[in-house]
Amino acid sequence: MKAYLMPKKGFRTIFFIGKGGVGKTTSSAAASLILAKKGYKTLIVSIDPAHNLGDVFMVKLNDKPKRIVENLYAMELDMEKLIKAYLKHLEDNLKHMYRYLTVINLEKYFEVLSFSPGIEEYATLEAIREILQKGDEWDIIIFDTPPTGLTLRVLALPNIAMIWTEKLIEVRRKILDRRRAIENIQGERKFRIEGEEYKLPSREKEDPVMQELLSYKEEIKFVREIITDENRTSVVAVMNAEMLALYETERAHESLKKFKIPFNLVVVNKVIELEEEIPKIKVRMDAQKKVLGEIQQKFKDVDIVRVPMFEEEPRGLKWLERVGGLIIGD
Amino acid sequence: MFESLKAFLKGFFSSFKDQSTDYIEFEERELENVFALVLMGSFIGIPSPPTTLVMRIMPHMVREIYVMQRRAADMDDIFGEIAGMFDIT
Repeated sequence: MKAYLMPKKGFRTIFFIGKGGVGKTTSSAAASLILAKKGYKTLIVSIDPAHNLGDVFMVKLNDKPKRIVENLYAMELDMEKLIKAYLKHLEDNLKHMYRYLTVINLEKYFEVLSFSPGIEEYATLEAIREILQKGDEWDIIIFDTPPTGLTLRVLALPNIAMIWTEKLIEVRRKILDRRRAIENIQGERKFRIEGEEYKLPSREKEDPVMQELLSYKEEIKFVREIITDENRTSVVAVMNAEMLALYETERAHESLKKFKIPFNLVVVNKVIELEEEIPKIKVRMDAQKKVLGEIQQKFKDVDIVRVPMFEEEPRGLKWLERVGGLIIGD
Repeated sequence: MFESLKAFLKGFFSSFKDQSTDYIEFEERELENVFALVLMGSFIGIPSPPTTLVMRIMPHMVREIYVMQRRAADMDDIFGEIAGMFDIT
């Protein structure tokens, strides 16, 4: 029984990471099925823009949790839709601002923003946060993630966002300090623009910018606390028995350590097991053996599970159960 | 007679009052300018804070953006402004 995959303090969050095409979706779906069978109310979410979680379960999924079997629910997040909805919300907010400010063409700026580097990572983080905030409805939440690169950046974001937010809060405090000082002498100040007039906020409570900064900080803190808590989060790396996949997993291991995100299990997927030797693929088998040996050495503090290559693609509940049994153990 | 003296004194002191905050107001404007600049950093090629955060703050940034724009327009006369502040004419 792998304790780091079971709920301990509140709900358990599990991220399945790995190179593209190694079988993250299959492994995560299989694990979720077994955990659900053990009686944990499990939600599996695909945050990979190239969804195929539905293909593995052989049902059509959308952005609402859909019941697969008893205790198991699955959903696929539509990133593009999320980003669009987000920008729409913003535009509505901006209309209010436009009343005062017609001098600068902000619409163009926001058009650019929606294509700005990093927007996808931030949207992914937002999506993860929203799911985690409603996490108490579940015992276990499993994330099927996009290929390693993007996922690692997303997991690094809370730290980076925190630094930015704290620095901005510092500057904002200085501004508000100055405003209060001036207000003490001059009395309440008004800011006039385009014939409209409004009070200059000088206290943290009445300053909407400060309020946004503080609430954003809280949200980030919430996510960071969950994903760095070994009692609540586990990362499972899926890889194939190939050198490139090994290197990538190693790098992921390093980065996760840096961000203090608990990394507990390596699933070596599609391991070829032959009963008799076939000369034609002997070189490949030797290479696989070498990689398997190295994995044992490199990940000493991490559990390692082998999933063999099956004669057919493991799709559908029967197959998933078999794979999941190997991953979770009894 | 008494009334006009009162009005005179009031004007006299309020001008002092205005002057007394000149420096802080200058500082305030500078900070507001920096704040807006940092948020819109991608315009001038410096790294931007989290896009989500920028998008959430932007709608409340009317004054800061206004200050930033004026600052950019007066850029060539920044010494003029400082000189004015120190009564160097």
